[in-house]
Amino acid sequence: MATREELSAFLAGVERRAFKQASFAVRDDDAAMDIVQEAMFKLAENYGASRPAAELPLLFTRILQNATHDHFRRLKVRSTWITLFSALTPANDEDADPLETLEALTGTEKAESALDKASRNQVVAIIEEEVARLPRRQREAFLLRYWEDLDVAETATSMGCSEGSVKTHCSRATHALAKALRARGITP
Amino acid sequence: MNETEFAYRIRQALNEATEQLEYRIVFRLERARTAALARVPRENEAPAWAPAALAAAGGRSISDQSPRGIWLQRLGLLVPLAALLIGFVAIYEWQHARRINELADLDFAVLLDEAPIDAYADKGFGALLRNEQ
Repeated sequence: MATREELSAFLAGVERRAFKQASFAVRDDDAAMDIVQEAMFKLAENYGASRPAAELPLLFTRILQNATHDHFRRLKVRSTWITLFSALTPANDEDADPLETLEALTGTEKAESALDKASRNQVVAIIEEEVARLPRRQREAFLLRYWEDLDVAETATSMGCSEGSVKTHCSRATHALAKALRARGITP
Repeated sequence: MNETEFAYRIRQALNEATEQLEYRIVFRLERARTAALARVPRENEAPAWAPAALAAAGGRSISDQSPRGIWLQRLGLLVPLAALLIGFVAIYEWQHARRINELADLDFAVLLDEAPIDAYADKGFGALLRNEQ
């Protein structure tokens, strides 16, 4: 079973990547931090004392993904309520867009501020941006396979899909990234 | 450049990005990690009563959840209890044998004595013996 030291070392090694992954998915640092913290808590509470250290990476990956999906689920429920309230409010502005509230969730302000923060290294920032723009499944497959170093079978288990799908997602993600980066004048 | 090579270059860039995280984020991650470690259930630690020798048995941890580990844990509780029980029985038997021997010695001394056995029932004879001692 994993000791407290092993768990601590594992979390220390994985926490920054986990934060980035969550951040790519939700595009909000605070929400990403909440997701990572929730994943850490669940891992420690449910598996910290009962599973060997070797199993922690896959478990944590799965928990992190579930926490991210839960975040989107909650967001969706909240968006439904916001939309409902805005529909009940008398519209003074004839040109008001009923989808404005939904748009705000993926609005440009946060993307801009994230870009400003990352301007220390322009190329890295652009790569990060393009990774974040990948479709969700492609991004998950790409990051798990090439950043988390999971093999195809582990990635498939973690994503709950077939190994063939993982290969397809990875291939599409790589091609999409290469194309997007070339268009921005970057050839990795 | 093939897919894997391209992917690993992207990976390098992403790793660089994690190194450039703001201090605020890094600090919050550390705090989250510490809080998470505090939530690890206590079963992870070996019970205080468990004999240390058991932990070393077969190089296995005392919290091993395998059938062998569970049996070792049960054995860790049963062995001291059995030892305690055997100890009590041994002490009782020893005390009992000692009492029998004392009584036998007394009977033997009385039988060998020249005084008639009825003399010991006489109060005056008892007082005489005490005075002589």
